[in-house]
Amino acid sequence: MRGKGRLHAATQRKIEGSLFIAPWVFGFLAFVAFPLGYSLYMSFFQVRITVHSVVYTFLGFQNYKEILIANGSLLYEDLIPFLKQALMMIPIILVFSLLVAILLNMRFPGRTLFRVIFFLPVIFSSGQIVQEFINQGEGSLTVLQSLNIDGYLRDYVPAGWADPITTVMSSFVLVLWYSGVQILIFLAGRQTLSASMYEASRIDGSGPWNTFWKITLPGLVPYIFLNLMYTVVDLFTFPSNPIVSKVNTTNYGSSSALAWIYFTIILLFVGLTLLLYSRVDKALSGARR
Amino acid sequence: MAKIPIGKPVPWSGSRDTWLRTFQRLRYRIVGREIDQGLLFKLIIYILLINVAFIYLKPILYMVTTMVKDAKNILDPTVIWVPKTIYLGHLKTAGKMLEYGRSLLLSVTLAGSVSVLQVFSCAVAGYAFARLDFPFKRFWGAMLLFTFIMPPQVVILPTIMLFKSFGWMDTVLPMIVPAIFGHGLKGAMFVIIYRSFFSTLPKELDEAARIDGANAFRLFFRVMFPLSRSVIVVVVLFAFVWNWNDFYLPSIFMFTAEHVPLSITLARVAAEMAAAEGAGEMSVYQEAIKMASSFLIIFPLLIVYFFAQRWFIEGVERTGIVE
Repeated sequence: MRGKGRLHAATQRKIEGSLFIAPWVFGFLAFVAFPLGYSLYMSFFQVRITVHSVVYTFLGFQNYKEILIANGSLLYEDLIPFLKQALMMIPIILVFSLLVAILLNMRFPGRTLFRVIFFLPVIFSSGQIVQEFINQGEGSLTVLQSLNIDGYLRDYVPAGWADPITTVMSSFVLVLWYSGVQILIFLAGRQTLSASMYEASRIDGSGPWNTFWKITLPGLVPYIFLNLMYTVVDLFTFPSNPIVSKVNTTNYGSSSALAWIYFTIILLFVGLTLLLYSRVDKALSGARR
Repeated sequence: MAKIPIGKPVPWSGSRDTWLRTFQRLRYRIVGREIDQGLLFKLIIYILLINVAFIYLKPILYMVTTMVKDAKNILDPTVIWVPKTIYLGHLKTAGKMLEYGRSLLLSVTLAGSVSVLQVFSCAVAGYAFARLDFPFKRFWGAMLLFTFIMPPQVVILPTIMLFKSFGWMDTVLPMIVPAIFGHGLKGAMFVIIYRSFFSTLPKELDEAARIDGANAFRLFFRVMFPLSRSVIVVVVLFAFVWNWNDFYLPSIFMFTAEHVPLSITLARVAAEMAAAEGAGEMSVYQEAIKMASSFLIIFPLLIVYFFAQRWFIEGVERTGIVE
């Protein structure tokens, strides 16, 4: 009797839960799963849209071959330098936002004012406005130009990397602008580290330097990886990303194939991040024991 | 800078021990016991923060000072930042070019409705993920993460076809309808934020409410949703700002529409100006008008942010946005 009642309660809870998640699941099927499957389907076809109907001609992997091998200029000449840029921007964004978050977490007069200013990028970094600012040349640091770093780079760095490096440096300020959300995440993450831990380490005679490396940084590891993932995802939909505008309605089939190739690259990046995270997490928890 | 406390033994007269202690105290004064104490660190912090703050403020300052310059000030080489007179005519021109009234209304409708819907629908989904039980929960959790990672470009073409068949092109519906179901622009991220917030609330809350006879719906609407006030602020602000600024989705779904949100009108104005320049119509006002239109677009956001900023920062602090 009692057992039956409990079972009933469990089913009831499942039904309640299902009701709550139902809208999201419906949205997922309609706006994510269906379009995803459909774009995969289209990527194997040549799609021609006529007045009355849509004509599909099966091509197999030809769309993919076209992009990867036959006509690889888009992928190799536009995307690869962008990926190299991204690879350099990610550590800059992470280190910078971590630094700023830790500074903003301290207690000093005028902190609120600084916080208000530092969250401004969250407001205008997502829009067209930044694009306008880049066009104005607001993104570069004049210090770097006056030191003639470009010249040194061309001499000492392999040619394939020199260009991405100069691009990143010339839009260095832009990189800082794109750290808004990351600062927020780090700041929020820093709140989860308990004050008693800091007190304990202080009583044990640990200096600020040690406290940072032994407590703050290990405590923030999950957030570092969360930020890493967010940054990767964000960079791949960056306005300066060459792929974003190439996925358009002029050719449904090959655009879909391009989108899928692109998505595979992102998944590779994210997968790498997750793998790294599980490794670091394991190593850290091993050290804790 | 550092003072030796009065009333303590003078360092060099005492034993080595007291000297060491005084040195230690002096060191703490300058370097600090923790990073956030000590004068040296404070100085460095201020220098760093003021520098970075300047980087963030400079474009806004540039924008505001450029848009109030008239022809005389633009051509005057002695005027770099501060114009000698203030001229508001560019704002008027920009307002006319942007069709400011209608575009503003459209932008407010779009961003406002999407953010209100997302705040609510993502909370429902996040709550279910955090505290309720439903079939295949792990699978759907993985799908949530997948949705977060996936770039919109992968699904954009079939989505266009879908909404075209509904006849929703050139309206705001393609942006608003997914938000009803907890999707839309960065919807997955908001669900994740809610999920991590709801999973930090104590289990006793559910138990107490259930003993009092509340079902899941009452529990959610009466207890959980009101409790998440700080997250709501964060999500509303993010959703509003991102939808306001978003260029990609409106440019795809309503580029041929007669009236478009502000984010697109800016691009249209810039294109018009580039065309005019190409045709040989050089204008010294171009820069000023562009800056004036940029200002008109982010001005509403600045106002919203100005009012929401206190709760927003508090919300970020209190909730620990992410688990």
